[in-house]
Amino acid sequence: MTAVENPAPQQDSTTYRPSPVQRLLPFAIAAVVPFILGATTENVNFWWKALITVVVLAVVARMAWVWTPRGELTHREDMRLWRTPSDRSWAAVTVFGLLVLPFILASDFTPPMDFPWATWFAVVNLVLIFAMGAAAFNLLVGYSGQISLAHVAFLALGSIVGGIVGVQWSGGNMWVALPAAALAGAVVGAISGLPALRLKHLYLLLATFGFHFVMMLVWREYLQEYFGFVGIRFKGENSPRIASWLHWLPGIDPDDNGEFIITGQFRWYWVLMPITVLSILFMVNVVRTREGRAFAAVRDRDVSASLLGINVARSKLLAFALSSAVVSMSGVLASFYIGSRGEDSFNVQTVLNYAIIIVVGGFSSIQGAIFGSAFFWFLPEWFKWAREELWIVRDIDFLSDYPSEIDLAIKGFLVVIILMFKPDGLAGLWKDVKGWIGRSLARRGP
Amino acid sequence: MSDEILSFDNLTVQFGGVRACDAIDGHVKRGSLFALIGPNGAGKTTLVNAISGVYKPLPGAQVQFHPAGRPTEDLLSYRPFQIARLGVARTFQNLGLFMGENVLTNLLLGRYIHEHTRLIEGGLFTRRAVKRELAARQAIERVVDLLDLGSFKREPVGDLPYGVQKRVEFGRVLAMEPELLMLDEPMAGMSVDEKQDMIRYIYAAQDELDMTVFLIEHDMSVVMSIADHVMVLDFGQKIAEGTPAEMQQDERVIAAYLGTEMAEN
Repeated sequence: MTAVENPAPQQDSTTYRPSPVQRLLPFAIAAVVPFILGATTENVNFWWKALITVVVLAVVARMAWVWTPRGELTHREDMRLWRTPSDRSWAAVTVFGLLVLPFILASDFTPPMDFPWATWFAVVNLVLIFAMGAAAFNLLVGYSGQISLAHVAFLALGSIVGGIVGVQWSGGNMWVALPAAALAGAVVGAISGLPALRLKHLYLLLATFGFHFVMMLVWREYLQEYFGFVGIRFKGENSPRIASWLHWLPGIDPDDNGEFIITGQFRWYWVLMPITVLSILFMVNVVRTREGRAFAAVRDRDVSASLLGINVARSKLLAFALSSAVVSMSGVLASFYIGSRGEDSFNVQTVLNYAIIIVVGGFSSIQGAIFGSAFFWFLPEWFKWAREELWIVRDIDFLSDYPSEIDLAIKGFLVVIILMFKPDGLAGLWKDVKGWIGRSLARRGP
Repeated sequence: MSDEILSFDNLTVQFGGVRACDAIDGHVKRGSLFALIGPNGAGKTTLVNAISGVYKPLPGAQVQFHPAGRPTEDLLSYRPFQIARLGVARTFQNLGLFMGENVLTNLLLGRYIHEHTRLIEGGLFTRRAVKRELAARQAIERVVDLLDLGSFKREPVGDLPYGVQKRVEFGRVLAMEPELLMLDEPMAGMSVDEKQDMIRYIYAAQDELDMTVFLIEHDMSVVMSIADHVMVLDFGQKIAEGTPAEMQQDERVIAAYLGTEMAEN
C-alpha cells in the first residue's frame, strides 16, 4: 500500500457547474410534490404524511446542496439570492415547507397532550400578515435607519382604503383594494416622511408618532361618517372572492349561494402566503439593487452618501413610500382576513407590538420580521397550552389566575434575554444555526 | 483656459468669527496632480468641502468646473449630490465608508451615478435591472483588480484593517469614474509600504484612468515626489503656490509649515 499521493481536491477549489436542469430540479420537486401529496394523501394517517414530508425535505435539501455552482463564480452566479450550497438547500426546504404546510395543517390530527393543533393554522395566517407588515417596517426603521412610529397609521390607512375601495365601491373586491392601498400608502408615506428631511432619531420618532395620532383621527372620523359604531364589516356580503379565472383550479367549489368566497384558513393561506412571499422578495430585491444600497448609505452616513451622488432627501422619501405601501397592503389583508375593523382596532399597543416584532426578529434584517411575528403569535398559544395541559405547570393555580399578566411578563423577559444575548435577534440566531449545520455537513464531505 | 479643470476664486468660508478659508484662489490643470498642503487647521479640508458643496462659501466666491466636452459649470449653484454627478468625487480624511456593509456594496455604491435602475425595476429584478447590475459589477471588477481587494469582497468593511478600509474608499471614488478626484489625506495613518502602494494607485488613477487628482496630504516627502503643482495654506490663507521644487525654496512655506525639518536639510 502506498500513501495517497494525490488527495482529493477541496470541494471549494474545484470548479463545478450543474446543468440548468440540475439547478432547477430540486425547486421543481419542492414546488410540485406538495400538491401531489395534498391530492393523494387526504385519508392517509398524519404520521405517514409527516414521514413523507420529512423524506422529501431531506431529498430536495440534498439535491440543492450538491447541485450548486462551485469554484470561481461569475457575476451572474454571484448575484443570485441563493449562492452557497447552504442557501440553496434552505431555499428548497422553504419552498417545499411553505407549499406543504397548509396540507399538513389542514389534516385531521390530534397531537398528544392536546397540543393546540386547531389554532395553528389561524396563527400561521396571522404570522404571514404580520410578517409582511413588519418586514416593511423593518426596511424603513432597521435597514434605512429612519425611525418611525407611524406604522400602525398605515395599517389604518390600509383599512380605510379597504373600506372605501374594497367595501363601499366594490362590495368586497380585495383585489382592487390592494393596489389602491399600495398607491395611497406610497403617496401618504412619502408625505409622512417629510419630517425625516429635517429631523433624525428621537425627534423623527416623535414627529412620526404625531402622524400616528392624526391618522387615528382620520380613521375615527371615517368610521363615524360611513359605518357608525359597529365599524367596517369585511365579511359576509363584503367577503373577498376568488377571481373568476382561478375557478378551474381543483378544490375550488362554489358555496351554496354559488359564490366563490375566500373563507377558511386553507383558502386564506393560499391568498396570504404568495402575497407575503412576493412582497418580501420585492423588498429583498430592492435591498440588493441600486436604490436599496442607497438606503443603507443614507442610514450609515448621509454626507458621504450625498457625495456619491445620492439625493438623500429623495432616498429617504423613497424608503418611506416603499415601506408604507407594503404596510398599507398588509392593512388591507388584515382587515379582510380578520373580518371587521372598529374604533379600537388600532392603538398605541399595536405600535409597540410591531416594534417588539422587529427588535426580537432582528433589527436590520428584513427576514427577521418573519421570525419576530412567529415569536409574537406562537408564544401566547404555547403559554396557554402549557397552562392548561403541561404536566406540573397546569397544577400551578397562580399561572391560570393571572394568564395575560404572566404571558406579558414572560414575553417581556424573553425579549430582554434575546436582546442581551443576541442583539441581532432571532434572525442572527438563525444565521448561527444555519452556519453550524452548514459547517458540520461540509465537514462530512460531499 | 481650456486645459484647466477647476478654478476657484475669492473662496471664503466662515464659521462664526473664524475664517477657515480666506479669499483663496487657485487653478487646477487637467490631468495634473495638484497638492494642497498646510499645517493642521490650515483650512485644507474646508476648502475641499466648499468645492464639493458640503459647506457654502460666503457670497462673492466663484468655483468653476470645466468638464471635458461640456460647458463650464458653476459648482456653487449645485447641491453635493449634483456636484458628484457632474464628475467631482472625493474621499474623507476619517473615512466615509458604510461600515456595516460589505466591500462589494461599498464599491457598488460608487456606481450609483452610472446605474439607472429604478426602485420598482430593482424590486421586480427585471431583466434590465439584472443587466445593469451586471454592468456595475463588471465596472468595479477593474477597481477590485487594481486595488487587490478581491479577497475582501464579502467582508463587512468595519471588520477590515485601516489600510484596507482606506483602499476601499479610494476604490469607491475610482468606481465613480470622476474627472476630478479629490483625496483628503489618503495616506494618513498608513505604514510606509501602504503609502507606497497608495502612491502607485494614485498614479494609476491619473495615468490609466485619466483623472485629475486634487490631493490633500500631510506627508511632505510624498507631496514633493508626486505633485505637479503645490498650494500651501496656513491659517486659512494661501501663502504660496508653485512647483514642489519652488515650494521647498520658499521662505514663507518653510517658516509656516516645513519648519525646522526642512530648514536643516
